[in-house]
Amino acid sequence: MRRWVLAALAGSALTMAAMPAQAAWKSYINRELGFSFMAPGEVKTSVGTYRGNIAGPRQTIVYRSVEDNIEYKVMVMSFIQAQAEGANILGEREYMFQDGKKVLVDTFARVEPGKDSVYGRKIVVDLPDKKGRSTGAFYFTKGKLISLEATVLPANGDFASPDPGRFIDSVAFVLSRTEPGAVELKTPKLE
Amino acid sequence: MRLTALAALVVTFAATTAPATAAWRGYISHPLGFAFAAPGDLKVEKGTYRGAVAGARDTLVYRFIDDDIEYKAVVIDMSDKANDAATLLGEAEYTFQEDKKVLMDPFGRGARQYGRQLTIDLPNSAGRASAAFYFINGRIISLKATVLPANGDYNTPEMGRFVDSITFFTVRAEDDAIELPVPSK
Repeated sequence: MRRWVLAALAGSALTMAAMPAQAAWKSYINRELGFSFMAPGEVKTSVGTYRGNIAGPRQTIVYRSVEDNIEYKVMVMSFIQAQAEGANILGEREYMFQDGKKVLVDTFARVEPGKDSVYGRKIVVDLPDKKGRSTGAFYFTKGKLISLEATVLPANGDFASPDPGRFIDSVAFVLSRTEPGAVELKTPKLE
Repeated sequence: MRLTALAALVVTFAATTAPATAAWRGYISHPLGFAFAAPGDLKVEKGTYRGAVAGARDTLVYRFIDDDIEYKAVVIDMSDKANDAATLLGEAEYTFQEDKKVLMDPFGRGARQYGRQLTIDLPNSAGRASAAFYFINGRIISLKATVLPANGDYNTPEMGRFVDSITFFTVRAEDDAIELPVPSK
């Protein structure tokens, strides 16, 4: 009997030790850009680039973290002067995300209820050459194209992980919905 | 020999019993900036649309019926809210398929114009509808084709032909396209 208990305890301890240490999820908010989200790990801010036939060349604001071999990325682009083209710009971005990849899910996405609703799209793709699985959510609101992408890398291997969904679904545009104490994100200066 | 004659007779009979389908014609609206092709007689109607974000809207409908397939080009003026283009388009697409069985939901992609094409089965075996949605120049423009139960051929290529005929480049319209009337407000 004692041997059984000992074996069970040792087994549990070994399993716990072998599991990767999971970082806590935190809320992040950018009041200037008008959105919030949740992510694990240390979120770093950078500036990137994007190019689309319709969107043209753009600088992007990127908030990125990596945790347990899953990359979490929020990308923001400003189209203040082309807001009426938002549907087309959003469509192009969604199309480019899945172009040449195996699409697993492509469905409606909606954030906020009623008249505050922001409609977008959720897409899940398998990356070519077994580079992982990406889940993306895409929205165009108040002159900004905001995308959230979570990529489960092969080193993680749990392509059915619920974490990408948790990340994608955490976005909010009505900031009163953001939980108190969210970390304030800075907006980097673009050229 | 007798068999061949019988076969020819059967073919002739089949041809005479097949429903007479009207010729397809090109239509264009220069003020609204789009063109498409449809069969049957054109009727211009007014309708309504309501969405939580869009609010209540009047719609302009170009409608045709041929061989128990209904073809509709619907124009909704959203110019006062055009900055919400992406959400307004998403809401219209979402409303079209809400509570219905979605069969297809691919990108609708014309030249430099992204939208969505959806095919759904209507509730209560009321038919199958295929539609494409675009937001351009402050308007939602959608083409919808519905195969009614009286037709019953739910895999007919006519739905796709209609929905795919849309163009936002007037140079791509047929030379003899008929100018669509725009009703006075």
